[in-house]
Amino acid sequence: MHDIIRLVWFDLKHELRPPIWIIMEWITFTIQLGIYGALISQLVTGISNYQQFYAIGFIVMMTFGVGSHTGRHFVEHAHEGRLPYLLSLPISRSKLFLSIALQGGIELALMISVPLAITLALIGNFTFISVIGAIATLFILGFGVAGLMLGLSFIAFKSTDIYTAITVGLSSIIIRFSTVLYPLMFLPPSYAPIALLSPLTYGADLVRLLLGFDPNILLDPIYAVAVLTALAVSTLGLGMLLLQRLVEGVKSA
Amino acid sequence: MYAVETQNLIKRYGKTHALKGLDFTVNPKEIMVLLGPNGSGKTTLLLILATILKPTSGTAKVMGLDVAKQPTKIRQILGISFQEARGFWRHKPAEILHFHAAICGVPKSERDAKIEEIMKGLELWDARNKLFMHLSGGQTKRLEVSKLLIQRPRFAIFDEPSSQVDLRGKRKIWGEIHKLRDEGSTILVATNEVREAEYLADRVTVLDQGKSVVCDTVRNLKDKIAGGDVVELLLEPGPNNTEELREELNKIEGTVNLVASGENQYRAHVSIAEAWVPKMTSLCYERKARLLSVRVTEPSLDDVFLHFTGKALETTTNA
Repeated sequence: MHDIIRLVWFDLKHELRPPIWIIMEWITFTIQLGIYGALISQLVTGISNYQQFYAIGFIVMMTFGVGSHTGRHFVEHAHEGRLPYLLSLPISRSKLFLSIALQGGIELALMISVPLAITLALIGNFTFISVIGAIATLFILGFGVAGLMLGLSFIAFKSTDIYTAITVGLSSIIIRFSTVLYPLMFLPPSYAPIALLSPLTYGADLVRLLLGFDPNILLDPIYAVAVLTALAVSTLGLGMLLLQRLVEGVKSA
Repeated sequence: MYAVETQNLIKRYGKTHALKGLDFTVNPKEIMVLLGPNGSGKTTLLLILATILKPTSGTAKVMGLDVAKQPTKIRQILGISFQEARGFWRHKPAEILHFHAAICGVPKSERDAKIEEIMKGLELWDARNKLFMHLSGGQTKRLEVSKLLIQRPRFAIFDEPSSQVDLRGKRKIWGEIHKLRDEGSTILVATNEVREAEYLADRVTVLDQGKSVVCDTVRNLKDKIAGGDVVELLLEPGPNNTEELREELNKIEGTVNLVASGENQYRAHVSIAEAWVPKMTSLCYERKARLLSVRVTEPSLDDVFLHFTGKALETTTNA
């Protein structure tokens, strides 16, 4: 465990000195929620508390962003030549993979701590269990997205251009065709089935349910838990398998 | 048991064959130098042994451990200094070395002293708090080598350990590598620098196009070149310095060619100068021909490479 913590801290400490990018994310969230969220909630009539709905959607998008960043970070390791060094260290591939995932988890925790606190203050009505459940959901979603992006990062070893095109395209589709910004029941019939393919749909709806939103406009939570868990386990498992079997530092450097 | 052993080792990158059935061994506690131009498969071999690359087929063992089956165990006894320093751009040399020492299991109580000693030894101490991205090429190379000198692994791999380093720095690095070997480490060095190979090697393996062409000590490799040693003789002018003497010199065992290179001067291409010169002096003594000077020039490893591969090592496009 010491090795994993060392690896995480060695890389992470430079991102936190100074933690400008995290503070900028917090400021972005605050402005987006305070100005755009407040204004748009006056225009949306179908949902009584759209600003709160939007706040959770924004946090889910941030979670997706951190997950994606973890995958991209891995690609950067390869392209900047750090990967061969990391692969040569006296630690197992599993530990190396766990350190990448853990770093993503810590970045996620730092990134969403303030936005989540603001959102909880805005909602007001929640329990300790529901908050823990919401945080756990965000982490499982984050790990799932990170696993997905790590899996895709292996494309970058063949072609960075294809990887960039796929991840950018996939990101816009995954976010737009989901329930992050609007409930499933409001989506046109042509969009709704596609939204069910987006992992963000399950993450956003489960967090909203846990924080007291109307269950009638949300997905079945059991279904959401099952999909998110399956996503996290399968993509992280696939990522670890690929790292153990396929990664070859020099080809990627 | 060999410290390193590969059998029919093959590595392909798509249609490119980097290693073509390489059989290769390194004895424990020796410095083996891999000599070859770029594209000869040196770095590929090092990275397979360091368990960073996977062989396409064949076997490779380090201290009896199979690189494909026991990679984590191998990494615990091995250290590698890469050809290019791998950048943690915003890190400082001191913290990079602290991290490396910690993760490689150097006891905490020894870390500070070891890091200071090695950094001072390689003239990096003044740059210890600079950002990696601000280091010169030579400094990044010294930093890369420092990692292994602090780690002191049982099996150390150096890929072009002194490239981009000035002569003074080169000598310090080479001295440290010798010291590491003397402490019991097995060392594998890849280089295309003849001087580095000559200075470091206990044995040299010449690699060309993914195959081992020849492997031996530097001395034996040079001796294997027929006519590789050049002996230049200057005789005192006199009646005994005749055409007959020249013919007799030409008949000495090991003479490949002997020509007159001036008045009373001869240039002989011989296989092993150490064996040829005593015979030559005896002959001159018997024939009462007085020798004024004898100059022996031995072939360089570049000549060795040329002899065994038909190519000049140092004029090849090396990268």
